[in-house]
Amino acid sequence: MGKENGSLHNRSSSAVLPTTATNSNSKNRRGRQISKTFNNVKITILCGFVTILVLRGTIGVNLISSDSDAVNQNMIEETNRIIAEIRSDADPSDPDDKDNTFFNPNATFTLGPKISDWDSDRKAWLNQNPEYPSFVRGKARILLLTGSPPKPCDNPIGDHYLLKSIKNKIDYCRLHGIEIVYNMAHLDMELAGYWAKLPMIRRLMLSHPEVEWIWWMDSDAFFTDMVFELPLSKYDDYNLVIHGYPDLLFEQKSWIAINTGSFLFRNCQWSLDLLDVWAPMGPKGPVREEAGKILTANLKGRPAFEADDQSALIYLLLSKKEKWMDKVFLENSYYLHGYWAGLVDRYEEMIEKYHPGLGDERWPFVTHFVGCKPCGSYGDYPVERCLSSMERAFNFADNQVLKLYGFRHRGLLSPKIKRIRNETVTPLEFVDQFDIRRHSTESIESKS
Amino acid sequence: MLERCLGSRRLRQMQRAFRRGTLTFLCLFLTVIVLRGTIGAGKFGTPEQDLNEIRQQLYSRGRRVEPHRVLEEVQSSENNNDNNNYATFDITKILKDEEAGDDEKRDPNTPYTLGPKISDWDEQRSSWLSNNPDYPNFINPNKPRVLLVTGSSPKPCENPVGDHYLLKSIKNKIDYCRLHGIEIFYNMALLDAEMAGFWAKLPLIRKLLLSHPEVEFLWWMDSDAMFTDMAFEVPWERYKDHNFVMHGWNEMIYDEKNWIGLNTGSFLLRNCQWSLDILDAWAPMGPKGKIRDEAGKILTRELKNRPVFEADDQSAMVYLLATGREQWGGKVYLENHYYLHGYWGILVDRYEEMIENYHPGFGDHRWPLVTHFVGCKPCGKFGDYPVERCLKQMDRAYNFGDNQILQMYGFTHKSLASRRVKRVRNESSNPLDVKDELGLLHPAFKAIKLPTSS
Repeated sequence: MGKENGSLHNRSSSAVLPTTATNSNSKNRRGRQISKTFNNVKITILCGFVTILVLRGTIGVNLISSDSDAVNQNMIEETNRIIAEIRSDADPSDPDDKDNTFFNPNATFTLGPKISDWDSDRKAWLNQNPEYPSFVRGKARILLLTGSPPKPCDNPIGDHYLLKSIKNKIDYCRLHGIEIVYNMAHLDMELAGYWAKLPMIRRLMLSHPEVEWIWWMDSDAFFTDMVFELPLSKYDDYNLVIHGYPDLLFEQKSWIAINTGSFLFRNCQWSLDLLDVWAPMGPKGPVREEAGKILTANLKGRPAFEADDQSALIYLLLSKKEKWMDKVFLENSYYLHGYWAGLVDRYEEMIEKYHPGLGDERWPFVTHFVGCKPCGSYGDYPVERCLSSMERAFNFADNQVLKLYGFRHRGLLSPKIKRIRNETVTPLEFVDQFDIRRHSTESIESKS
Repeated sequence: MLERCLGSRRLRQMQRAFRRGTLTFLCLFLTVIVLRGTIGAGKFGTPEQDLNEIRQQLYSRGRRVEPHRVLEEVQSSENNNDNNNYATFDITKILKDEEAGDDEKRDPNTPYTLGPKISDWDEQRSSWLSNNPDYPNFINPNKPRVLLVTGSSPKPCENPVGDHYLLKSIKNKIDYCRLHGIEIFYNMALLDAEMAGFWAKLPLIRKLLLSHPEVEFLWWMDSDAMFTDMAFEVPWERYKDHNFVMHGWNEMIYDEKNWIGLNTGSFLLRNCQWSLDILDAWAPMGPKGKIRDEAGKILTRELKNRPVFEADDQSAMVYLLATGREQWGGKVYLENHYYLHGYWGILVDRYEEMIENYHPGFGDHRWPLVTHFVGCKPCGKFGDYPVERCLKQMDRAYNFGDNQILQMYGFTHKSLASRRVKRVRNESSNPLDVKDELGLLHPAFKAIKLPTSS
């Protein structure tokens, strides 16, 4: 640049010289110096200006104050801070509520004061309150109980699938006249985690005597047969309906012989008693740890971890078989709980060959994503497999709901839908044909 | 040497030309750089992107983590830790459309319609109802069958906690509807791609009205609205001569044409021919693109205080009512005696005062039925209000409503900001003698009317 300066300068000065012949030498030199300086300064300013522009474009050196970028940055940081706060377990109003005192192992844990005459009390209440019958239009009143922890999931996709799961349950229950209770509160801090369902089941039974059956369902279980109706008449003589296999339970003593992800409890004294003997392995801390060791020692295939409700129930049913098993129905003729791994890849085959309403391996009633744990950080299976399978199960079920409205998903992995039936001016003929509710109740009436 | 070949004059000319060329080239180069820095150059990217790429490359080389490749190796049965980590997963990798959708684009010259015109819906529906006595449209003489409709996008929220708030919101609605014998339809499907965004409810509502003739009232509720009065039952008899109930003020619509004179975040629509007609009249401003933008300009011009943006369903309804009062006004009820929609800004700070002075069941300013978080947009990245205020207040509103549910079972939240619950009523050995304060366990509005047998 200097060389160019010089050559530029030379050029200008050489252009000037021949025409200003009359200038004296000193004036010439002064003039030349001034113009030289002027040119230098001009070029310096130009270069400086261009440098600033380029720097501003690349790394954002804001000499002219523009606040918008800074504000955006602040907003993003603030948002992240608030989200982290919401996600943490810390309770703003209860800074030191950490219960370091665990349940005393020597005492026996109880869910509540002992109730011994629930059957007669309930019957009396039903008689006095005929406007709250336990049977509505020939069907026993069922209450579906499900839930999730009160804080956001460890990762956002978990909450999204909790949302899809509750929508799936809302759809099934609307079609079958079942009420839903979604629990997001830990009623008993001792029984947190998978044990949280026990106090809630008891509480609902006692508060809602008009409910005949309480159906617990895990948040990672999806209904995949929207037409299938529970064959409640099969269970007239039973009080607990749970998916399981007798040989796995009695012969092999396997810890996965039954599944407590989806089961029904009748609202009666027997159920309250079972809950009372089931609960003692639950309290957090040394009680649960010790119980876990006992369960691992006694059940086949159980890994070593703290006591969970499923293993505890198996142990209970095995050790007190004579007392409890006569009222327990081990259902395996349809998938009251369907382990997802063997089912999700076959959905296309099912769509091709079978139809909803079967509930079994041909068209599973429930697809249960055990082990996926989308609400936590890590599951037992690869994430991609779990999430794509859950999406497929959700869409598989949603297709059955959308059929009434003339739509279907564009593929089992697609959130978008496409029209499969044109709009008409007489929509009611299709309502008669496709409404699931009317077909289910018809089948019920024909049975009874 | 060169001088001798070309002559000094020629040489000087060439040098001059050369210098000028250099200068021009330099200036051009600098211009390109500056432009790229300021406005970007499409696929050649901006310097910021370059910087990010360089940063990423440096970091990745340092950490040796390549998340994309790890996910592709998922096929193996070994439990690679990153495979099982939900935090690093991108859901858009697995979502895909296998079948093409409606490829026939609607001819832009034909006006948009929600569907073929139905003119005898009242007759069709009443004959269906008489053929299906098991599905009456009235559960009790004063209680119509109501379907609450709400929904959200089928894709995960952009905001990481957005889905959690959607979950709390639907739980809140499930609780209210269970107490009041209302069914819920949670929509996660976009029925008509042209009517996306806030207009998506129109094709959905029409479809639901036509598919559920047993439903007497359809109650649309936004996903950011929460029930805060669990004991309040909507006064259905008040609306026996009306077909469309919204929260609003007559003066603000018909006299002022104020764009927030009513709110379409929570409204009741009767299942009848009139409703189909008003949906048809409402829809034309909705289709995405030029129509919606142009309509937005008209609405901003015609309505008071409306900012400039594309047409939204609320402004369109204000305009429709203000300009078509004789046609529609007679069957529209603008309710303001209770908060069928309650703007959150004026309610959320008063919850403690309400708890002290009043009790559930009023539904109005003393104990609002609905607290609607307009403008918060918890599912998106940016709303109109500070994130902290929105999310914390949504927690408070949720707990305020949830306390009324928990008190049925003897619990309450430790405070309006807390997720934890505490017992307020001891377990009793005679649970049936215990009545909950609000009488929500077995409320009168849920009782099944018995056939009067003489």
